[in-house]
Amino acid sequence: MITLYDYELSGNCYKIRLLLSILSVSYKTHVVEFYPAAEHKQDWFLQINPLGSLPVLADDDFVLTDSAAILVYLASEYDKTQRWYPRQNHRQLASIAQWLAFAEALTGSASAARLAEGFFYDIDLESAQQRAHQLLRILDEHLWFAEHNQQRWIVPGEHPTIADIACFPYIMLSEEGGISRQDYPAIRRWCDNVKRIPGFIVMPGLFPAGPAPEVAATT
Amino acid sequence: MDLDTLQLRWHPIASIRDLVPRHVFHAQILGRELAVWRADDGNINAWENRCLHRGVRLSIGVNDGHELVCQYHGWRYANRTAGCTYIPAHPADAPARSICNITYPAVKHRGFVWSGEQPQGSPPELPELAGESLTLRPIPVNAPFALLIDYLQRDAQCLPLKTQQQIQAIQKNDLAISYTVNDQCFLVCLLQPVDSNRTVLRGSVPEAILKGNQTELLHHFNHAFNRIRNAAEKQAARQGPLPAFVAPIKPVAEHLASMPVKGDDNRRAALRVTVQSIETIASDIKAITLMPVEQPIPTFHPGAHIDLHLPNGLIRQYSLTNSPGQTDRLVLAVKRDPASSGGSSHIHEHLKVGDLLATSEPRNNFPLRRDALKTKLIAGGIGITPLINMAQALAHLKQQFELHYFVQNASQIAFKSILDELGHQSTLHINLDVEQTEAQLIALFSNYEPATHNYVCGPAPMLDAARRIAKQQQWPDMALHIEYFKNTRPRDLEQAFEVSLARSGLTLQVPAGKTLLSVLRENGVPVPSSCEQGACGTCKVAVLAGQPQHQDVFLSDTEHAQGDCLMSCVSRSLSPSLTLDI
Repeated sequence: MITLYDYELSGNCYKIRLLLSILSVSYKTHVVEFYPAAEHKQDWFLQINPLGSLPVLADDDFVLTDSAAILVYLASEYDKTQRWYPRQNHRQLASIAQWLAFAEALTGSASAARLAEGFFYDIDLESAQQRAHQLLRILDEHLWFAEHNQQRWIVPGEHPTIADIACFPYIMLSEEGGISRQDYPAIRRWCDNVKRIPGFIVMPGLFPAGPAPEVAATT
Repeated sequence: MDLDTLQLRWHPIASIRDLVPRHVFHAQILGRELAVWRADDGNINAWENRCLHRGVRLSIGVNDGHELVCQYHGWRYANRTAGCTYIPAHPADAPARSICNITYPAVKHRGFVWSGEQPQGSPPELPELAGESLTLRPIPVNAPFALLIDYLQRDAQCLPLKTQQQIQAIQKNDLAISYTVNDQCFLVCLLQPVDSNRTVLRGSVPEAILKGNQTELLHHFNHAFNRIRNAAEKQAARQGPLPAFVAPIKPVAEHLASMPVKGDDNRRAALRVTVQSIETIASDIKAITLMPVEQPIPTFHPGAHIDLHLPNGLIRQYSLTNSPGQTDRLVLAVKRDPASSGGSSHIHEHLKVGDLLATSEPRNNFPLRRDALKTKLIAGGIGITPLINMAQALAHLKQQFELHYFVQNASQIAFKSILDELGHQSTLHINLDVEQTEAQLIALFSNYEPATHNYVCGPAPMLDAARRIAKQQQWPDMALHIEYFKNTRPRDLEQAFEVSLARSGLTLQVPAGKTLLSVLRENGVPVPSSCEQGACGTCKVAVLAGQPQHQDVFLSDTEHAQGDCLMSCVSRSLSPSLTLDI
């Protein structure tokens, strides 16, 4: 049985909940109150994860920290179709690693700005926002040219990958850190695509999309 | 250039390819944010980016193809008109017509969508871009447009070209520049003033110079634009920001917000329409499509009707049978009544394509709840007209419903293709006698469950039967919605009575032989009306004291018993005096 050490308002925890939902994997949660109790810095939790970070996933006795590592594990272990983490396609696999690192940079900027605005963290807000905008410019350009090549996802291919799951939450929550997505129309369209993946779930601060046009055409 | 001048111009707000289906694009010009969305019929809407309810941005809303839904409390706004069609907190009521968002023009031209505050004329011609020009990736720049145009003008050579020839920059106006080599235009740049300190740099490459790999060209100019952006942003940061453009949100238009003109009987024909098509859709039933001549059609909801003013002076009510999202026209279905006194027979015999007619604004007296767990729509004959639109709306919303359509014979079945699309959700009942019809109605009104609603429209005997059966089956009045074509019940005009008008401060006598409605109008008290026979509900007035004598077929038995409202066209008084809330 999978246990997720989880905090509802964490974008990194939401990444895991989202993939588990999409893959229809059942799990139980162990709520860790990140704010204001800072349970993730308490002794009992540091014994599980000395880094004191969320999320943590325990699959029976196998314990993993770091959201990107957890996404890799879940997609490898539980996605029988091997589309979310296509192990046989080396270029796709390497691209996923590249965008997982990009998602980490989003955590260090867009998420940091949100921590400053919403959770009263002592972080240089302006510089976090600036770095986030630099990243969003890069991703918007990447996705605009992807659209031009009839691609819908961050890593080129027919199917979304864990790179989309990893980048999505802190982009959708960016406005809580004072980062508007108005200047990134290709990102906004890609967000709709992610929201229309079967099994998609929301978290506080994040809204669902309307029905996809293909579905509409058949009714 | 000052803000006033800029507000009179057309500005590009998006590339056409930005407006993908079922998406809401977030645009801004001159400080004003716009929610831009394309409906399934292709119409592009550019609206104030603000829900009228709590001010939440509509750009985070849901484009369902026909309506834009606010994320916050689910207010829905119609394609084209931006009128509010539904408020989930008031599921039984049709929203007032004055709840209408502010719209801006949206025109497709040369690969871009153009809009403006009060743009004059048409968007700039840009003949260089005629044909299949290539729209470049737009680049938002944190710099004022004046700085950027200077930059583009001065540093024409910054556009890296595989040519040694001299590039010439020709400024077309303060916001557009074209680049030529040997008098051949190879790029047009357009600046979209987002606000005083932000600009979108847009570009398009003329068809004439497009050859070979377009992707390479897109990357090439994207790179060039990025370089221009970086340089302009550095310079803008050195100069410091300009004062912001203020984009006040206009209040709702005066004529929508104010009370009607005193003495106006509101039976006026507010709209001019022309007959675009007449089509026979069943035996003795014609579908009439009316297109507006001047102003657009105001927002209407499933179940709405209009008063059609015919050239022979008669006024007749017809339900709108438009499909969901079809907001640019009025579509009616008219059955020839063998006992016609000149309404339906005129339409069937004399009306022709191109005729100019007048109609009232649509009225929404038969609103559809969208919070029901189950809805049953029960139509008798031409009573299908308000219900076919409701059925399509519920199908689009993926809500559970059944449509039951009673007809005398197969030749009288209208809307066949829509019924086919509805599939198992629609059931035909053909050629049933009175007993068989009543048996079906008993089945439809059996086993009431909460949040089930039945809507019935058809000939008076069927509706009377439905009402009686609903009562026998203990079907609650609030879950029964009936629309009569006309009031065939005998009406008394003999009783004289007095009315006190609480708001107007008048006391009036209604003599025998006159209706309350006509007495009110003669004394300058405006009450809207439509059918003037107690069937449509338009002239409803609240009663504060006294016991009304109801003679309408619009209100339910429960509402009659409550006695807190009446239909001013037919109701009289059982008490010597009534106090009304007007």
